[in-house]
Formats: sequence, structure tokens, C-alpha cells
Amino acid sequence: MTRSVMISALALVMCGRTLSTNASGFDRAIDIASARVVKLYGVGAGMQEGYGTGVLVSPDGQVLTVSSLLIGARQILAVAHDGSRYGASLVHRDPARQLALLRLHPYDATHPVDQSNTQDSEAETDSVGPFPFFDLTVDTALEPGDWVIAAGNAFKVADGAERMSIAHGVFSVATRLDARRRARDFPYQGECLVIDAITSNPGAPGSALVNLDGGFLGMTGRVVLSNLTHTHLNHAIPRSVLLDFVEEANARAGGETEVAMVKAEAPQIVDLGIRLSRAGYRTILPFVERVRRNSPAARAGIKRDDLILSINGRAVDNVQDFDTRMKGTAPGERVLLVIRRGRIILDVQIETDYKP
Amino acid sequence: MTNSRWTTGIVLLALSSALSMGTWVRGGGDSDATDAEYQLLRDTQVVFRHVAQRVQPYLVKIETVGGSQPPARILPTEEDEDATPLERDPNLFRDAPGSRFVVSDGPTTGLVYRSDGYILSSSFNFVREPVLISVTLGDGRRLAADLVARDQVRKIALLKVDATDLPEPEWVDPEQVSVGQWAIALGLGFGGDRPSVTIGIVSALHRMKHNAIQTDAKLSPANYGGPLCDIHGRIMGLSVPMAQRPGELAGVEMYDSGIGFAVPKNRVDAIAEHLMTGHSFYRGWLGMQSDPHGSDGAKIVKIASPSPLEEAGVQVGDVIVRAEGKPIRNLGQLVQAIYMLPAGETVHLGLEREGEAYGVLVTLARNTELGSLSD
Repeated sequence: MTRSVMISALALVMCGRTLSTNASGFDRAIDIASARVVKLYGVGAGMQEGYGTGVLVSPDGQVLTVSSLLIGARQILAVAHDGSRYGASLVHRDPARQLALLRLHPYDATHPVDQSNTQDSEAETDSVGPFPFFDLTVDTALEPGDWVIAAGNAFKVADGAERMSIAHGVFSVATRLDARRRARDFPYQGECLVIDAITSNPGAPGSALVNLDGGFLGMTGRVVLSNLTHTHLNHAIPRSVLLDFVEEANARAGGETEVAMVKAEAPQIVDLGIRLSRAGYRTILPFVERVRRNSPAARAGIKRDDLILSINGRAVDNVQDFDTRMKGTAPGERVLLVIRRGRIILDVQIETDYKP
Repeated sequence: MTNSRWTTGIVLLALSSALSMGTWVRGGGDSDATDAEYQLLRDTQVVFRHVAQRVQPYLVKIETVGGSQPPARILPTEEDEDATPLERDPNLFRDAPGSRFVVSDGPTTGLVYRSDGYILSSSFNFVREPVLISVTLGDGRRLAADLVARDQVRKIALLKVDATDLPEPEWVDPEQVSVGQWAIALGLGFGGDRPSVTIGIVSALHRMKHNAIQTDAKLSPANYGGPLCDIHGRIMGLSVPMAQRPGELAGVEMYDSGIGFAVPKNRVDAIAEHLMTGHSFYRGWLGMQSDPHGSDGAKIVKIASPSPLEEAGVQVGDVIVRAEGKPIRNLGQLVQAIYMLPAGETVHLGLEREGEAYGVLVTLARNTELGSLSD
């Protein structure tokens, strides 16, 4: 049985190789993705490159990209797949999700558009398009192992009307982004799509990620290192997150998001109602020494001598680690602790409280 | 056989579309050919999806805690009561990481080896000698695990949990693996409940002294300790952080580099029994220092006392010209010849002393068994 299975699989592969050399099963996806991304040029400084990629998300020229130095430029140049040039102005950016929404308008090299005026200057004469675009409301099913194609301008090797660079790979897994850029934790910690196509390169963030049918899956994220594996994380921000952002951006058009502001203002001191062991070795394991009566921890069933292994999926190696992780928690938020009690390992969910 | 049923179905499906492709190709035009290629990709995608689903029950998520403090003071382990203090010294393994090695902070992956609770993983997350090891089984059960022993050569770690009914995966006969076939690596290092999938091919066989299959699937801390599978969801090998430099754990330069290694079943079996006794498997040493610039063999400059070479009667000034029957022109070739061999293995060396050739059988030792070097 196994042998026949192998032979049939071999037949499959061999048959594929006899096909026309010009044909590619990725053609459709590549065509769709390439027509819906733009090359972006702005300012760069130091290690931050002044070029990138954006995804068209409306027929009238709304372009999604990642939040970077590039979009802070006084004038951003956008080049569509046919080589046509447009100016782009910032509609909205969200530092928390590291996303930005731009709007294309006619390009005038002699009179750079002042960004501060763009909101008021959306006169009819400024309208451009219609462009081919991705409809963010259309959901596309995705399973680990599915082929993915990313179209973008990594290293800005594509110029003018030249076609975007295409990277292929498979969708690896959906997970929460836990990453850093240089020495700092990356602010966006929501859902991301990990892919095994190489997109962690300058210029590639903002690429369109599509499946074999050209269905839109997400936009490739900024170049980051995973805090879990210390590898470059080739990833994309999923469509649903992008949709929320665009809807929010269009609703308020300009300024920081309310969500981001609330988060920034939230008091950082939370209380679980436990005291950890602080005596002993140079590095102190987070053993629970005391649980306050009626505290969130007591209600959740935490007991003395429990050893805390992780908070919200992040391993906790010592008491200092525990304190650091807790600082990133807002009161009222649910915290998932994994604890070890003797030989048993337990998941415990605690609703945090303000420090009394 | 039951396990193969779905793969058979999928492959038959794939085959039927492959056969129908013939018609399209004869049809002529490029768009027909594109359609056929597209269908082929769709079929491979179905296969990849199913491999991930089929293998997931055999994967375990391993989380480790601690490592900076002496394990014995926190939680005495039962393993290896007879071990000498040196054997318990965590520094034994800390010499292994390469210069660009970074300890991973995330979970790592394990693969069920035997239904009675033995789990294979890579040495990667155990470098810092964690105090606590938590294993989450495919069925969601979460158990504390003991690190039974490690294979320092192949970078394998063997764990044990208190369980008796674990599902055992199907392995591929290493003789049936061939260069160019699809290779699918799975791992849980990115977190989340489902394994991450990366695709490549088998790049080479019998690498690292016949210890590993080489693949261009992207291996990294995201999937070390997890399986490298064929398109039927059978295990071709256990993904391990073997590095280019002898004995080192792979550092960041190896991650996603297109060069990854997985240890096939026969090499796992060869050491599993030994590891189950609680004894780790160590790299073998001769106990000598040589002139790295020599070109007429490896000239011995210093010999450790005690050491295997001293025991065999070899003297400073002798030149090693053959190892295991292969000619040795310099120190590099000598290292290549023996670095994957374990302590306890006997090696035949051909030497020259003042122009006279002679041969010795040397039993390789662990580095901790070597004395200091002397001229």
C-alpha cells in the first residue's frame, strides 16, 4: 500500500514537471497581488529606509502600509503597477498597531502637497482612480500548509513600472506577535500570520499577502525579531485587524486612536493579591509565599507554594520577570497564569484588580 | 494501515488531477498549462494541510523554567544517583553552544517516541539546565517532565512524562528517503495551539557523519525538536540544532538558512536505549593539542594526562596520518573524522614516529575525563 502511494505521489510530481515552462500555478495570485500594491518613497534616516510597499484597499486610492519613518515625509510618492505616479498623504496612523492609511492624489512634482492640508483639500479635482483594490470585508479561509504569495518592493529592486518582487512560501501558523525591533518590544501584540516566505527585508513590509487564488490574507508586517525564537519573524497582519483599522481610520480620519490613548492613560499598577518568595538565591523562582484572602488570586484558587511558570503564555523565570510582565497588564484585564503545584501543572485565569 | 488511509485518498485525488492534466497539456495553450500547474499546487496544498493535521497528535509543547540556579538546591532530581559532581555540572553542556547561540525564551517542540511516556526533543531549550519542564500533550494534558538524558553529538534530548497511552507516530525507513522529495517541518516554538508549518525538500542524505538528513525547510528554534515529515505524514527525522562547527549548537546564523538537519529513525534508535538508562551521550575526545598549520598530518604538540592517547602509548611529536582508514593531512581533517563519534567508541589511528609508521586503537573519552595538557 505504502509503495503504491509513493509511486502515485511520484507520478504527480513528475507530471507537473512535464508542463509548459512558462506556466505557473501562481500566475493568477501574482497578477492579482501585483496590481493591488504600490511602491512608496519617502524619507529615510540612518538604518530606516525611505522606501516601502503599500496595499490598495479602496477604488479611490486608499493605501494601507506599515507605520514607519517613510510616511512622515512631507510628500510621499506612490507608484502604481503600471508605473503611474501619485502623491500620497497620511490619513491616519496607529502607533499601537504600527499601521498607517494613506490616500493617493494627483502627483505634482513642482508643488509638493503639504500633508497638514490634505484633509481639507480633498476636492473633486484631487480624486484619482479607480484602482484595482482588495476588499477587506471578504474573508479568505487559511490553513497551515497553504501556499502564500507576497508581492512587494523588497530592497526597492523594482523601479517605475517594473513588476513587484514576488516571494512564495506557505502559511505556517497564526499566533500572537511577541517581538522586538532593535532593543525595544514591538507595540503590536495582536494576531499575526507567520509565513515561511521571506518578507523580513527592507521595503517588503506593506506587501500584499494572498493565497493561491489571489484571496487577500493580510499585509506583511515590519521587520521584527521574535522574542520567543530570536529569529526574524516573517509575518503578516491579518485582514480582520486591517479592516478594523481602516474602518476606525475612516471614522475619525486623523489623530491617535482612542484605544491607544486609553491604554496609555491606564494606571499600570495591578494587584493579584499574592506575595512571592523574595529570599534565597541570586535568581529567585516565583513561588507564592502568601495569598491575600478574597483577593483575585484567592478567588482564582492560587495557593501558597504554587510556582508561577508563565503569564499570558510568556515564561516567567524569576520574581523580577514576574514583576515586569505584570507591569504590562491593565487592571480589569484577564491574566492567564500557568502554575506548578507539586507534580501537577495548572492553568489559572485571574481577573486583575487595582492595587488597593 | 489505518493511518495511511487518508493519505491514500489524498494522493489518489492528487493523482487523478495529475492524470487529467495530461489532457490539458495536450490542449496546447499556456492558460491550460497554467490551470494544470495551479491544480497541482492546490493538490500539494491539500497534502501539506493534512500532514500538519495528521502529525499534530504526536507533537508536545515543552516549556521550561529556570536555569540560573543549581538544580539540586531547588528540586533534587532522581536521575543518575551514581553521577559524579562533574557529570552533574551544567557547564558540561554550556560549552556546546556556538558563539552566536542565543537561548530561546519560547516553548520548544517534542515528539512522542514511545507510548509509555518517552518524548524526544532537541537539546536546544535545555542548555540552561531548566529546573522545571512542563509538557503539554497533543490531547491537551499538561504534565511535569524529567529530562532523562541528552545526546551531545546529535543534539537530542530525551524526556519522560508519567503517561502510558501516548500515540506513537509512524517513521519512514531511512533507506526510503531520497534527495529532492518534499520535506515538511512542524513545530510549536511560535506558541499557539497548532504547529507551524514550513516546507522544503530533502537536500542531502547521510550528513554529519551519517547522523542526519539535510533539508532546506526552514529549521530554527520554532521547530527544533519537532518532526521533519514526508508527504504522507510519516516522520523522516527529528529536527535538531546541529551546527556546521563540530559539536556546537546551531546559532542564529543557521536559523532559516536553508541548511537544517534532522536525525532519522535508525540514528535515534541507536542511542535511545542508552539514553533511557539516564546516561547522556557525549562527544568523544582524543586529548591532544596539534599544530593547526601542519600539512603532512596532525602533529601532536601536547597530550593530556590522563587521556586516550596517553593510554595508547602515543607521544608528543608523533604525527597522526590516518583515522578510520582515511588519510589525515591536517588537524581539520582529523577533527572532521572523529567529531561526531561518541565517547566510548574505539577509533583506529595511523601514526608516524620519526618516520616509522605504527597504528593504535584508541577509545575516545569525554572531555571531563581528560587531564591537563602537557608537553
